[in-house]
Amino acid sequence: MIVRRIAGFFDERLGSQSILRTALNKIYPDHWSFYLGEFALYCFIVLVATGVWLTFVYDPSPGGAYASVVALGRTQPIGYLMRQVHHWSAVVFVAAILLHMGRIFFTAAYRKPREVNWIVGVLLLVLASATGFTGYSLPNDALSGTGLRIGISVAQSIPLIGAWASDLINGGSYPGPLLLSHLYTIHVYFLPVAIGVLIALHLGMLFLQKHTQFGGDGSKVVGRRFYPDYALRTLAAFGATVAVLLLLAATVEINPVESYGAYRDWIVPNPATPDWYAGWLDGALRLGPAVELRVFGHPIPAVFWPGAVLTLATLVLVLAWPWIDHAFRGGEELHDVLVPPSAAPWRVGVGAAFVTAGIVLTLAASDDQQALALHVPVTALVTLYQLAFPFASLGAGLLAAAFARQLRRRSDASGSRAERVVVITRNERGGFDEEAAEPA
Amino acid sequence: MKDLLLLTAAAAALACAATAALHANPAIPGLLAALAFAAIGVWAGAAARELHAPSDLSEPRHALTSASSRSPSSSEPVTRGSAFGRAWVVALSAFGVAALVPLVSLGRRPLARTSAWTRGARLVTPEGVPLRPDDVAVGGVETVFPEHRIDAPESAVLLIRVEDGAVSSTPERRDWTPQGNVAYSKICTHAGCPVAIYRHADYTLYCPCHQSEFDVLFGARPISGPATRALPQLGLAVDRDGFLIARGDFDAPVGPDRWDRPA
Repeated sequence: MIVRRIAGFFDERLGSQSILRTALNKIYPDHWSFYLGEFALYCFIVLVATGVWLTFVYDPSPGGAYASVVALGRTQPIGYLMRQVHHWSAVVFVAAILLHMGRIFFTAAYRKPREVNWIVGVLLLVLASATGFTGYSLPNDALSGTGLRIGISVAQSIPLIGAWASDLINGGSYPGPLLLSHLYTIHVYFLPVAIGVLIALHLGMLFLQKHTQFGGDGSKVVGRRFYPDYALRTLAAFGATVAVLLLLAATVEINPVESYGAYRDWIVPNPATPDWYAGWLDGALRLGPAVELRVFGHPIPAVFWPGAVLTLATLVLVLAWPWIDHAFRGGEELHDVLVPPSAAPWRVGVGAAFVTAGIVLTLAASDDQQALALHVPVTALVTLYQLAFPFASLGAGLLAAAFARQLRRRSDASGSRAERVVVITRNERGGFDEEAAEPA
Repeated sequence: MKDLLLLTAAAAALACAATAALHANPAIPGLLAALAFAAIGVWAGAAARELHAPSDLSEPRHALTSASSRSPSSSEPVTRGSAFGRAWVVALSAFGVAALVPLVSLGRRPLARTSAWTRGARLVTPEGVPLRPDDVAVGGVETVFPEHRIDAPESAVLLIRVEDGAVSSTPERRDWTPQGNVAYSKICTHAGCPVAIYRHADYTLYCPCHQSEFDVLFGARPISGPATRALPQLGLAVDRDGFLIARGDFDAPVGPDRWDRPA
């Protein structure tokens, strides 16, 4: 009764009932892989909820930051748990975005008319990683402080603007007095607001363009109504995401800053490896050539190539991917029907090569620990990974493409499983004869 | 059955709040909260299944392009673009250029990249103990700072003791290593990590971040890994009271290179 009165109030003023009815009745296709993006969304919600709480206990001053984070473990009733959930959500957030992106890529969901949403998605990945890195740096412990120093070294290596930008962030030369408070503002304000806006755009475009689906001719979207059917399903996804994040936080300790000690520029924990999603950049720095160029008397340090150029080139390549795909494939038609990966072996190959390159660089980020465990010189592993970066990626790409081609050939030869009908008869020798029959 | 799940969620949520309020081990409220959300999730999943709602409902897709829109107004030629002419673009560009001024002014800071080392500063341990040439045994290593400036940024130094006369140095650095005490900046020239590990067997310094190696006997020049520049050396001497002192600041800028560092 009260609900109806309130609904009536808004409907008389805004016409909200018909908008709501359209939204609640909207049809969404269902497939397990469509939930990957939702996991990311729910990670973000957990990040905001725990992050807001953490802003009330964190102290961004250079002298107080580390102590304020360590104090969470002792004086706040659930402060330790909050920080663990927050950090776990951050690393799972990036992982969920990447998996979601993999689904989009391998099923070619980025094609016209969804290229713009691909760009928004890629920017979300960049912002999620940047938010992760700035947040990871806030405790100012020995590990994250070292990572931050490396990040600033990379920023400083960029010609013309790098040193300027670094001084801006630091409030002077490194280590500047304003470094942490600037990172704090960026981490709790600029980046999350930008992510929120982009998520709204991402979902708004999804709503407008309707979701892609497997099968069908693309003239209509086939699936389930949002309310109550899909709403219950996404609530289940929400509950599962939060439960997993809490379970991880309660049972597996992440980033124990208490044991690293406060950051001082002369102390580093050994081994020193970053959060998983930054591993490929750290690995690239380890594999990069020891070359320092000079341009008009200015240095171009070695970290510029693996740290800045590789990152930017990767970003441009990924952003441009829908148009690269289009350049090879052509056509101006709209694509609302997803392509199974096996139907496009070359795309599987490109994706596999890309993933392999990322894995090689990430593995390289712990080459010192591998060298220790395997009793081989670390320089040998560096050479191995330097070779693996182009060649293993290429090899994995070709192999995956060949595998997908094999799958396609097999399914071409036999038709799809649903249509294939065979008649099996027992022969006189006791075996079976198989005869293809026309589908009914 | 389904109601039991919701009751479980409610009970777990209350238990979570209670254990948190009682300052229990953080894992306990964490696991209880996980249970509460898991129960909600399972409840929703079960409820969705129980709906037996059709999964083949359909809605037509429409191309979103305005070209296919049937609204009469959109078929009129758009002439409103002329309201913003070329002069507008010029004006806007000028604003863009003007906006660069506050942006650029944000970052102008004097480049203050000298360390805390001065001529005559004693080498002290992080605990503040001054060192004599014999305090570090041959094969040993100690992190040192200028006296009264412990923890000063960009100033950490590795004091390494090698056999007297083992260091090969250029003529101007010949007197920088009294009794085999040789000192280099601890900040890596590659990406700024502390070059934390010394191996006396082959006289190398090793950075745990990106595995650059430096040769202690030859001016800490890089011998493997991504670093391109030697670690800056701190010239040493012994003062009248027999303590190790610096001859001055480092012989090169500390830390990784940047665009605005002079050659």
